[in-house]
Amino acid sequence: MRIVIAEDDALLREGLALLLRAEGLDVVATATDPAGLLAAVAEHRPDVAIVDVRMPPTHTDEGIVAAVEARRRQPGLAVLVLSAYVEEAFATDLLAHGSAGLGYLLKERVGRVEEFLDALRRVAAGGAAIDPDVVAQLFARTRSDGRLDRLSPREREVLAVMAEGLGNAAIAARLFVTEGAVHKHIRSIFAKLDLAPTDLADRRVTAVLRYLEEARGRA
Amino acid sequence: MEALAQREATAARRGGRVAGRALDAFEQLAGGLATSVLAVVALLWVAVCAVACVVGVGFWLLPGALRAARAVSDRERARLTRSGREVIGPHPVPDRLRAALADTAVRRELGWLVCASTLGLVLGLLGLTLPLNAARDATFVLWWRSVAEEFRSPSFAPWIVQGWAGAFAVTLAGFAWVAIAVGVAPWMARLQSWPGRRLLSPDRGTDLAMRVQELTATRAGALDAHAAELRRIERSLHDGTQNRIVAVSLLLGAAQRALARDPAEAAPLLGRAQDAAEQALVELRAVARSILPAVLEDRSLGDALSGLAATSPVPCQLDAADIGRCAASVEATAYFVVAEALTNVVRHSQAQGSVVTVRRIDDRLEVAVQDDGVGGAAEMSAGASTGGGSGIAGIRRRVRAHDGTFTLTSPVGGPTRLEVTLPCGL
Repeated sequence: MRIVIAEDDALLREGLALLLRAEGLDVVATATDPAGLLAAVAEHRPDVAIVDVRMPPTHTDEGIVAAVEARRRQPGLAVLVLSAYVEEAFATDLLAHGSAGLGYLLKERVGRVEEFLDALRRVAAGGAAIDPDVVAQLFARTRSDGRLDRLSPREREVLAVMAEGLGNAAIAARLFVTEGAVHKHIRSIFAKLDLAPTDLADRRVTAVLRYLEEARGRA
Repeated sequence: MEALAQREATAARRGGRVAGRALDAFEQLAGGLATSVLAVVALLWVAVCAVACVVGVGFWLLPGALRAARAVSDRERARLTRSGREVIGPHPVPDRLRAALADTAVRRELGWLVCASTLGLVLGLLGLTLPLNAARDATFVLWWRSVAEEFRSPSFAPWIVQGWAGAFAVTLAGFAWVAIAVGVAPWMARLQSWPGRRLLSPDRGTDLAMRVQELTATRAGALDAHAAELRRIERSLHDGTQNRIVAVSLLLGAAQRALARDPAEAAPLLGRAQDAAEQALVELRAVARSILPAVLEDRSLGDALSGLAATSPVPCQLDAADIGRCAASVEATAYFVVAEALTNVVRHSQAQGSVVTVRRIDDRLEVAVQDDGVGGAAEMSAGASTGGGSGIAGIRRRVRAHDGTFTLTSPVGGPTRLEVTLPCGL
């Protein structure tokens, strides 16, 4: 897996590169700002770009803008965005055109190496990785139209983990249930929310996020 | 013995203060004389135009003359502002003659022109000649024999001195003149500036309206400064401290993975994690300190400033004795001003040293920071977010929010001097 890292903080940038190389991953280039990222992507054609949201010059949302631009220039480039804090508007901007090959995680998730690598691999493989905090925030802000209330507590748990981008097997492992049970829950959830059922993880993420967003719009 | 020495020292200090005040007063009188001369010219011009109205052309010329009167008045306003309380100028002179003549500010300015061309001129001339003559008489005994006989007379009487006794008498009288000049000068200066302070400041109603406008503007500035401050704190927490802690977490995670593979690999990672944790602590302390230095709360402004002076990379001499306590927000602002000014000194001035002076004058706190650097410091436009200019804009905003004054003199080639006064607010 060929990786480009864009992060303006030197210690984090090097730490991240060190960690990934130790895991046998191929960090082909690092960049300190959006222009550097775009140049590195053009030169190395990586599989994944890991991008910090706050970068020079204004330290606001340069990373998001750069990630969207990088994907426009190289369709299919997987991007994992790291953020100092959960900002749902960032997630919405990033996921405006679907969630295939996209990830949005809080920075501190890199410390849980196993899970971070999981998310990275998922994104590189065209899946999605949405931070649990983002999902929780979406749920919390969704004063639903009532349809969400129809879900059982278990189904809500499954929905939340599904929204993070996990596949059925991973959901089953996280919730300590069988894959068959997960499959059943998901069919039930999709039926209750009037969503078209699918087994493709990233499609599900998009559907669920869009649903949550629309539910907030309606409320 | 010690008490005597102390009393002598006090007396010397008082003498120095009196002399300093007299010198200030003479300087003011001379400045007043300059505006008085200009006032005479402006008044004559207005009078000529007024007379010319009889034949019609005056109507064309008068508005220009009134604007000239305004220019002279503004000069006086600036002069008065430099030597004391700010005198705020009025709105521009109305374009149409009738409106201009009905304008109270214009009328008051005409009144001032009359006062300045008479009283102001006389006082100014006196202020100039009095000390010269006094000095001439006081030194009379030294030179009276070396000048022609007709010049051997004191400046105050047409009397030709014939002998040493007379010369000594003139010198004695000269000393008396010096004493009188020193004593009277401040009064003369005050009397000279009185018509200006009275007539050139806005009348009560306008004054209040302008005051409200000013307060509205400074309040908005205060809120802006506050928001900018919060933004700065947020930024240093997110981009500094948080990144350090994330790095700690990342390195610990990497170390954990390394332990499983090869324990020897983990040791350097743990060391780096500890370094990152220590950096986080240093940055956290810096952020907390920049919000409100703890020493300011626990001890005094003087202690907080001596901490600043001691840690400044450019040697800094601090003079902040007997300043007492002010309102917490005022002390915080004074601290901020000095901190920011010293940062600018380090970053931009190439100075070898700086001097910070803090004085308590009645209910005002006067802060001055001067360096021996290259000068040329300037406030940049409000939009700029980097460089020294924004620091100066920040200082100005915070000082204005306290209703204080701010002046920056920084000719190219140096030195740079920044002066701020703040009401103590107690």
